Amino acid sequence: MAGELESCKPLSGLLSGLAQDAFYGHPGITEELLRSQLYPDVPIEEFRPFQAKMRGILKSIASADMDFNQLEAFLTAQTKKQGGITSDQAAVISKFWKSHKTKIRESLMNQSRWDSGLRGLSWRVDGKSQSRHSAEIHTPVAIMELEIGKSGQEFQNRVISSSSSSSSSTANT
Amino acid sequence: QLIDFQWKLGMAVSSDSCRSLKYPYVAVMLKVADHSGQVKNKSFEMTIPQFQNFYRQFKEIAAIIETV
Repeated sequence: MAGELESCKPLSGLLSGLAQDAFYGHPGITEELLRSQLYPDVPIEEFRPFQAKMRGILKSIASADMDFNQLEAFLTAQTKKQGGITSDQAAVISKFWKSHKTKIRESLMNQSRWDSGLRGLSWRVDGKSQSRHSAEIHTPVAIMELEIGKSGQEFQNRVISSSSSSSSSTANT
Repeated sequence: QLIDFQWKLGMAVSSDSCRSLKYPYVAVMLKVADHSGQVKNKSFEMTIPQFQNFYRQFKEIAAIIETV
């Protein structure tokens, strides 16, 4: 059975599944799903520590945002450890990180943003010729519509910046 | 109506999900008054590319508003 786990073909798929769960927050990626799809001949008691080890390695790499030198050093150390990984497995992990690093990092950045984000921005400039509140003729007004919200939630806010002077002072900030 | 615009440039260094985050961001606090005069605060965060787009839009508005 150890031979099954050492085979590299399904490892790439496993790393992908683990990333979906750990970084992209996709629901429903259970241990049993991964085992049955990728390592159907491996019993769950053997699969469990194996996937935990791979998950741990992936999380360490992502958490430290390893560059390629750090990655090589880290994976080499893992191959030398008792109960570590094979050099073939290290190669698969290395390849996986190189192609997914940017996307995983972006996902982690998004996870750490708890304040609302700017989901959309549109604007319009009106040239007013007359205003009820002021005697000024021809006061241009910039109207901005900001969509502010957390993911899954949106608030639309219309913000009016009156007159050319306040709009240009904002742009100079 | 826009009353005030405050900003902050921050750097998220580390988080529980990522020890080496190194993520710069711009946080903005807008003070907005509605037609009754009630003032509300709206805050939001932007990544640097989002902020650069935000800034570009403002520059465009400023340029156009001068010509109106």
